[in-house]
Amino acid sequence: MDTRRGLIVLLAFNEEECIATTVAELREALPDLDVLVVDDGSRDQTAERARAAGAFVLTHPFNLGVAAGEASGLLYASRHGYAQVIRMDGDGQHDPASVPALREALQSGVELVIGSRFAGVASFRSTWLRRFGNQFLAGLLSTLSRQRITDPTSGFRGFGPQAIRFFARTHPHDYPEPESVLMAARQGFPIAEVAVRMRPRLTGTSSLTPWKSAFYMAKVSFALLMERVRPV
Amino acid sequence: MLRSSLIGVAFAAAFAFTVLWSARGRRTNERHTFAWLLVAATIAGLSLWRHGIDTLASAMGIYYAPSALFFLALSALMWVVYRLSLQVAEQRQQLKRLAQEVALLTSTEHERLARAPPRSDSVPAAARHDPHAA
Repeated sequence: MDTRRGLIVLLAFNEEECIATTVAELREALPDLDVLVVDDGSRDQTAERARAAGAFVLTHPFNLGVAAGEASGLLYASRHGYAQVIRMDGDGQHDPASVPALREALQSGVELVIGSRFAGVASFRSTWLRRFGNQFLAGLLSTLSRQRITDPTSGFRGFGPQAIRFFARTHPHDYPEPESVLMAARQGFPIAEVAVRMRPRLTGTSSLTPWKSAFYMAKVSFALLMERVRPV
Repeated sequence: MLRSSLIGVAFAAAFAFTVLWSARGRRTNERHTFAWLLVAATIAGLSLWRHGIDTLASAMGIYYAPSALFFLALSALMWVVYRLSLQVAEQRQQLKRLAQEVALLTSTEHERLARAPPRSDSVPAAARHDPHAA
């Protein structure tokens, strides 16, 4: 297997305004990587614009959520023999300039590499509530996985060949970012964090409110504790 | 027969009829139909056997007989709802997997069509629109 063959998986839901720009930027900045857009049941022109911009496109017949979107991308990568997957968001928040660092980590044998917003690059600003929530989850996840994780909810991640095969088969149901870190740790996969830059989103706004954030934290904590007691 | 027993039996009969009517119209499956018919039969049985609840309550060590009835009814309903939630979770997984397979197949078909060379025996677009063309 060609150990350098890589795929960028972009998750998109109603991103017709920016998906073509994101795909074009990635294809120019990272010409040796294929780009797959997982269109999660968009009701706009996301799929058509992504395809026209040169991406492969998977279109869910209806909205399945982020976890299923990531799982579909990994299933595609597994079926097509890719050795590396870089997962990014379709709204342009993830900076392509950080992808080589993630790929380097994968080349060195890491199976799951997390692009961390809090590991030294001071580009990311958030509210105190989100910072508190992140620190709480980071502490819980670090304890459960027995290694330091600073950004448990980062969607900017890379998967190596073993992780691709494993997560294409068994994938978290609800909170893919933190749950998959714990699953990978329990599988014995080498995990690393790499500092990445985040940019302001090109379009749209965050749907998170303080109440939603608190509820999310509680649900994720419960999901992590459940994941910890499942058989490996 | 006491009026309360009559009401209980009538309710059980109406419920059983509704369940069977739904099954006849294929709006529920046999497994669920059977379970709900058992519930109807239990309601009818307890309505007719006047001292049944008292016997059950004393066997369970409960002083106030209707409490035993509430306990049993709630336990049965919780069990049914729990079973249904297990089925919903399983079907959600199956539905997700099915949707992912549909997405993969559609993508493969799209890529195949994009790669396929144009057919040499196809009629040019202009000819299709002109019935007099050679």
